[in-house]
Amino acid sequence: MTKKETYHRYHIATKPAPEIEKWPPRFNVTVGRVGLAKNLIKEIFHFGLGERREVVLSRPCIYGVFSGPVGGFAPRPQECVGCLRCTTEYPDYVKVEPNPARQQLGDSYFTFNHVNTISVESLDGSIPVKGAGYRGKFGGEGWDGMWTDMSEIVRPTRDGIHGRESISTIADIGYSPAFLQFDTNGQVLGETPNSLSIPLPMLFDLSAPAFKNNIFIKGAAKAAAEVGTLIILPVDVIKRLGLTGEHIVPLLKKGDESKLDSLVDFRLVTLSEWDAQLYAAIRQTLPDALVSLQINAVSDELTEIVEAGIHVFQWVSSFHGRDPQGSFILDSIRKLHTFFVEAGIREEVTLLGSGGMIAAEHIPKALLVGLDAVALDTPLVVAVQGKFDGECESREMSRFTFPQKLTADWAAQRIINLAAAWRDQLLEISGAMGIRETRRLRGEMGRAMFMADLEAAAFEGIDGYGD
Amino acid sequence: MVTKTNEELIVEKHVNLLHAGFKARAEREFEPSPAMGDFRWTEQLILSTYYQAEHGRPPENGLEYRVGRSEGGFDVLDFKFLDEAAWTPEDVDIDLSIPLNKRGVGREIEIPIPIYGGGMSFGSISEQVMVSRARAAQEWGTFMSTGEGGYPLALLPYKDHVITQVATGMFGVREETIRNARIVEFKYAQGAKPGLGGHLLGDKSTAAVAALRESVPWVSLFSPFPFHSVYSVEDHRKHVDWIKMTNPEALVSVKVSTPTDVDMVAVGSYYAGANIVHLDGSYGGTGAAPEIAKKNIAMPIEFAVPKVHKYLESENIRDEITVMASGGVRTAYDVAKAIALGADGVVMGTAELVSMGCTRCSNCERGQGCTFGLTTTDPLLSQFIEPDWGAQRISNLYASYALQLKDILRKLGLKNIRELRGRKDLLRYIGKGKSAS
Repeated sequence: MTKKETYHRYHIATKPAPEIEKWPPRFNVTVGRVGLAKNLIKEIFHFGLGERREVVLSRPCIYGVFSGPVGGFAPRPQECVGCLRCTTEYPDYVKVEPNPARQQLGDSYFTFNHVNTISVESLDGSIPVKGAGYRGKFGGEGWDGMWTDMSEIVRPTRDGIHGRESISTIADIGYSPAFLQFDTNGQVLGETPNSLSIPLPMLFDLSAPAFKNNIFIKGAAKAAAEVGTLIILPVDVIKRLGLTGEHIVPLLKKGDESKLDSLVDFRLVTLSEWDAQLYAAIRQTLPDALVSLQINAVSDELTEIVEAGIHVFQWVSSFHGRDPQGSFILDSIRKLHTFFVEAGIREEVTLLGSGGMIAAEHIPKALLVGLDAVALDTPLVVAVQGKFDGECESREMSRFTFPQKLTADWAAQRIINLAAAWRDQLLEISGAMGIRETRRLRGEMGRAMFMADLEAAAFEGIDGYGD
Repeated sequence: MVTKTNEELIVEKHVNLLHAGFKARAEREFEPSPAMGDFRWTEQLILSTYYQAEHGRPPENGLEYRVGRSEGGFDVLDFKFLDEAAWTPEDVDIDLSIPLNKRGVGREIEIPIPIYGGGMSFGSISEQVMVSRARAAQEWGTFMSTGEGGYPLALLPYKDHVITQVATGMFGVREETIRNARIVEFKYAQGAKPGLGGHLLGDKSTAAVAALRESVPWVSLFSPFPFHSVYSVEDHRKHVDWIKMTNPEALVSVKVSTPTDVDMVAVGSYYAGANIVHLDGSYGGTGAAPEIAKKNIAMPIEFAVPKVHKYLESENIRDEITVMASGGVRTAYDVAKAIALGADGVVMGTAELVSMGCTRCSNCERGQGCTFGLTTTDPLLSQFIEPDWGAQRISNLYASYALQLKDILRKLGLKNIRELRGRKDLLRYIGKGKSAS
């Protein structure tokens, strides 16, 4: 077999998946018809028509807002990019304003800017590239108060994402002993590795009760299979929808022992809470499967659970990234990671996390503060044009409305596109750091910069700082 | 009588309307536009920049011209002005000049204001805009940089005020363009997209742009990152030597981004022989960059400058290298704050574009993206910027900055901009939600 036949470079197959429901345009464009008519008459008198018709009809927009059959008398706001040239040229009768209906998409955490970004990413899998500089607040709480490092000169990925060396985004889930012991016959003694690899450090997590739409879930499951990752779903949903395959991760809760018989061929099973009896039953029914545990607090009990055999933990925050104690997920991950480091068993566990990670940059940041992989939830809703019904923080009570024309195939492609866009952006960030495999990002705090630290160092000694 | 073509009339019509619009908006003849501006460049900062470009002085009509609403960095710092009795007297001439070569050997270059124009390539902006910038630089005795798209011949009359940039794509880099320049700038990285290399999307790479870059028209150009010839600080030294061999008189500037170890990068640049280390913070402008890079990679300039300044001081080399700061320097007050934090001067780009009508709509990456004729190479749109007009706008903006910088220094009891460098004790932290004076 030739190298060409065996070599496989991971690739996510994107293709355009245009919106199936019209979302409100970003801007409202209002043109005063009287003002426009007066201006037209004035210009006709000034330039004449005939061969100067082109001059009279020349419009202050290159995007087609005024290029409909009757021009500015019926503007097309969906074409507006907010350049404001029209209002600069005709300030007395043209107005461009942000569309409140667009700004209501999402909620207070998943802002409409996040929604806008995901709508670009899930459209065709491209990385949003724009001109001008950064437009937002300087820093802020949570993810916004963190920057990632870059390398000026010395870097292993010489050409970044465009070059000859690929950057691996593989994530390992499970457990590998630090070293193997062999008997005199070369047989492995003691523990053997038990892990699985996914090609990108992103899983899908639709295990929360808030996710109820069957078409959406089927689409997300299909997307998980196609990109080669995993999707966590309640066992009842899996059974109800007849979902099968190695990409499915059933979520089991206390008392679900009776449902174990129907579970075959699962590589990973998740427990919603620690239950020794259920865990023992899983070990008996699915001896080779990895078992993960959803947690939202750090306690010494975790080391005992590791000793009991659990090596995968999934930190679960609210959709706004808060745990029951009110901590933000970034801080929670750091605490969790540090806990296992200090316990001397970080290498023996895999840390996953979900909730509050809603933008491509949150993935590398979450890895830098200690996760091995991120389990995505609400971004998948937005990718398929799901709308938030009010504030959607609770994993139980949040309500989402999906497009009426939603199909599983379309939803799958949108989610595949999103995964591709986020992976490519992970490559960008990793390449900038000179990192050749994203596994190396895990807990690499030296490549993270926090606003609190930077500001303290820079503004130390300035009157009023620290008061 | 020469009859104008329709195209000429179209350009004339829109240019007249645009110029009237810039003026009217800056004079506050119309309601604020809620679609204009953002946290960093607020509507008031944009309009006050129009005003300064029109009048050559800061606005007196209530427009905010000093700070934005970003709730951090320059926007939460203010100056501790002295009581009026302690101000520098009006009859004392305040000196704003800074030297660009402090090594004591080689050509001495001093610029009369602590500002020069940053790299914006042909392709990312039009030739008309480049010439506007070069003329303004010439008028003020300062510089502008070619960016990485080559050296258009139209810049040759201003060559004493044009910095030739050598970037990782090496587009249009030739021995003769290196020899044209009094300053050659290595662009290792750019603040808006640190670690990623330049981006020029295909529909901006017109035949003229491609010819200058020695590339194929309509093909996207992603510069590699980093330099293929630089694998170490020693290689960096050889890079500097290459320039010095080609143009022994040239000063060398090293433009870098702001990683966590930016202080060590600056020291490395010094030992490699650089005259200027140019720190480009993460909130700088760009013709095109992945959105993820703008916010998340590398630190803002407000944090990088004091770090570098302090480290260079501890190495006893602070007075042998010029530190220029860029990446989110929007106003004269930002200029002064950057210097108080430890820079010698600043490099500006976006503010110059705003002075010529940029609304910061972020569509610069597209071929026809800039409807104002700034960040485009579209043959019709680029005619909207007539270089004399553009140069005057930038020049007026610089005049306003100079007035304000002198005013700031006077109120701090200083006579020289060099006295302000690293004077964090003259700053006050005002925190979020409060206004700088």
